[in-house]
Amino acid sequence: MHLVIFSVISAVLISCALGVVISRNIVHSALFLLFALISVAGIYLVLLTEFLAIVQLLIYGGAIVIVILFALMLTRNEEYPRIQNNKLWPIAGILSVLVLITLSVSYFQSDVIRSASTTISPAGVKSLGSSLFTTWAIPFELASLVLLVALIGAIVIARSDKDGN
Amino acid sequence: MQYFWLIPVISFIAFIITSLVGNKILKQAWIFPVVAIILGLGIYCFGLTEYLQSRFDLEHCVRSSVTGMVGCNYSVGWFSAGVTGKETVDSFLGFTVDPLSLSVAGLAIFVALMVQIYSIGYMKDDPRFGWYYSVQALFISSMILLALSDNFLLLYVAWELVGLCSYLLIGFWYEKPDAKEAAKKAFTVTRLGDVGLLIGILLIWIEVGSFNMSDLFSYVASGQMESWVIFSISGLLFLGAMGKSAQFPFHVWLPDAMEGPTPVSALIHAATMVAAGVYLVARTYPLFVESEAMMLIVSIIGLITAIGAALICCVSIDLKRALAYSTISHLGLMMLSLGAFGYTAAILHLLAHGFSKALLFLGSGNIMHSIDDLDINRMGGLKSVLPGTTILFCIGALSLAGIPLLSGFWSKDEVIVSIVHNRNILFAISSMILVFLSGFYMIRLIIIPFFGTQNRDYSNAHKLPMVMLIPMGVLAVFVVLFGWVALYMPGLPSSFGTFLFYSHPKNFHLEPDIASITLVVTLLSFGAGYLFYVKRISIFQTFKTRMKFLITIIENKYYFDELYQILVDKIVLPIASLVALFDRVLVNDIGINGPGHITRSIGSLIRYHVTGRIYVYLGLMTSGMIILGILWLWIVRL
Amino acid sequence: MLELIHFNILSVLLFSVGLYGVLARKSAILIIMAIELMLNAVNINFIAAAAFKHGGGLFTNFDGHILTIFIITIAAAEVGLALALILRIFRNKSTVNVDQFDMMKL
Repeated sequence: MHLVIFSVISAVLISCALGVVISRNIVHSALFLLFALISVAGIYLVLLTEFLAIVQLLIYGGAIVIVILFALMLTRNEEYPRIQNNKLWPIAGILSVLVLITLSVSYFQSDVIRSASTTISPAGVKSLGSSLFTTWAIPFELASLVLLVALIGAIVIARSDKDGN
Repeated sequence: MQYFWLIPVISFIAFIITSLVGNKILKQAWIFPVVAIILGLGIYCFGLTEYLQSRFDLEHCVRSSVTGMVGCNYSVGWFSAGVTGKETVDSFLGFTVDPLSLSVAGLAIFVALMVQIYSIGYMKDDPRFGWYYSVQALFISSMILLALSDNFLLLYVAWELVGLCSYLLIGFWYEKPDAKEAAKKAFTVTRLGDVGLLIGILLIWIEVGSFNMSDLFSYVASGQMESWVIFSISGLLFLGAMGKSAQFPFHVWLPDAMEGPTPVSALIHAATMVAAGVYLVARTYPLFVESEAMMLIVSIIGLITAIGAALICCVSIDLKRALAYSTISHLGLMMLSLGAFGYTAAILHLLAHGFSKALLFLGSGNIMHSIDDLDINRMGGLKSVLPGTTILFCIGALSLAGIPLLSGFWSKDEVIVSIVHNRNILFAISSMILVFLSGFYMIRLIIIPFFGTQNRDYSNAHKLPMVMLIPMGVLAVFVVLFGWVALYMPGLPSSFGTFLFYSHPKNFHLEPDIASITLVVTLLSFGAGYLFYVKRISIFQTFKTRMKFLITIIENKYYFDELYQILVDKIVLPIASLVALFDRVLVNDIGINGPGHITRSIGSLIRYHVTGRIYVYLGLMTSGMIILGILWLWIVRL
Repeated sequence: MLELIHFNILSVLLFSVGLYGVLARKSAILIIMAIELMLNAVNINFIAAAAFKHGGGLFTNFDGHILTIFIITIAAAEVGLALALILRIFRNKSTVNVDQFDMMKL
């Protein structure tokens, strides 16, 4: 049962990902990205981490894709051109296939993966939360600092000169 | 005698001083070299009397078992090449005083002194007066060093120095392109011989283990040297002698060397430097006599040189060139004598010829100084203009032609005696032909310039200063007296042959039959010369037209210069350009410029990877990652 | 049954698709989208590795999940900054075409 669900969701995921990188229309790509991220949330559910699935949907789907769409709007030059691939795209294809082969072969050879368990341990919110605020407290605080810096940085960088301060 | 080393040293110091301050005291630059030579002459005379009175310093002097003469050897360690304890090359600075070195050194010092004094007058107005005297001082220093040295390394150094001074002095008037070419020619041709000398010296070291001459002689005397080694070493040394002493085919430089100032020709190319080759053969005589074949070769080359040069001299029209060819001929005669086991005769002739030829050259210098021309066909009747020169010139010429009572007669006679005794009939006949020719050309050189019909106007001939005539006079006295020295050496029981000999003293005795034949031939040649050039008999003209072909060959010096030119053009220059090609392409372009070029071209290729475009960089990073992954899989896993 | 290797293959597949997008797309914003895909692939890998570890119950290992939370956080920050930069460049060059961003070449 799990296998079927997993296969369906991963099929959707891969096809949406392919849509992101192959589509000729930028906005179509953005939408494919959205669906891909939602499928990833589905994968998280298969892996019994509801909390992360929700977080994924909220942040990626709710914030990041929106921001990307805004950026698309702001950087619009002419009517979106048809071909979106740059000069090196055949080589890119070869390289990514090579990466695929290399990584999968190395995964297949790995002992750690072969000796993994076959049951999925769920990760409840309570346990995640206690772990986050005890063992991982310091990185948590640092992450908030990173967000602050990114916020300020984005404002500074994207500020227009004409506005002055 | 132990102060003999001072002679070259004092002259060398004079050289340094004169080259430093010569230009400042231009007119008096002759002082230091002349004083140095006078001092050297004093030391020499003192040492000579010591030797003649047999006041030998027993610590250093020993009667050589090989040559039979008493030689005094003074040496001091010079350098030791190699690791001490293992096999080293030990070099010594030393000189030996024995009759051979005494004779040659004496000739050199004395003629040098006369020439230096003569040059005060001859080179008076030359702007490079100081440089002339400094190079002369260096030359004298090296020539004495050559005559006195007792090991081959020092000999080679002195040999090269003498060659250098000859080059500098031949090309003294370097404004004349002919002089430059002649200097280069002299240096190059003698260099060819010097290669042989160097290889010979190295072979000596390989064979004997030491550069010392006495070590070589004892090694040879002990019979340890194989005959082909003896032949090769003596052959190589003879090559060096051929170069310096202008034997065929290395003779081509000496006539052209007449481009230099006349005193230079008198000193270097008549009396001293060209005698160095004869001296070398005489010094290494113990080596030469062991090889019959080598002695024969020496005689043959000497004979060819002597007759060939004598023939050219008969048709020369430039006075100095004629004298040069005569020098070559007499050098050939000396070599012939050495090859015919006439050791004493050869050295005796060396000394006699040195004095006489120097006198003759200085005489031609007088002519040059007076009328600025050396073409003998344009002179004639000089005896009325230059009476003193005429007498002195005649003394020198008649001595060499073989008039009795003058020194040349005795020495030539000795040579003929050795040839007749030790070589076959062919040599004897050839030497008679040589006697005829040498008499003939000397008479020609006397008659045409001095006694012939006056061809030109001598009213603006320059006067000759006394300083030029006095040295000539002293030389002439020597020419006359030296013959008696051959008969009776002061301080010794008998003649020169008891002073200088090989293995046992030879008493000088006149062999009447040989001497009379020689005299008759000489007088015949005088008669022929008189008839041809004074009476101008008609047979002379028919002779000249009949032999036109031969005479043309002789007049063109047997086309030797053209042969050499072809050799150089066809062989030497292509090889040189091949070597230059090797150097330019292989060493320079590929070896040195190559890595630079490669680096630069690789760099300009690689430069294009910095495109500035992100996807290119990312692609390269990805490729690197893939390669690392594959390596990890390969090494760790498989 | 579901095993860890399945999730690994999925993650690798997603990663290489994202890599293709990064290398082959012309617009900078498309590249950022592809980067998001790669990050998500990594997230899947981490969570799967944490979920399939031996020992459940009290001994569950949560490292992968926590790491994923942080990755999502950082990804958000990064996208914000990246798009700010792209806006800046767009103002100067009026294009977001990566082909034309070669001002740093020799």
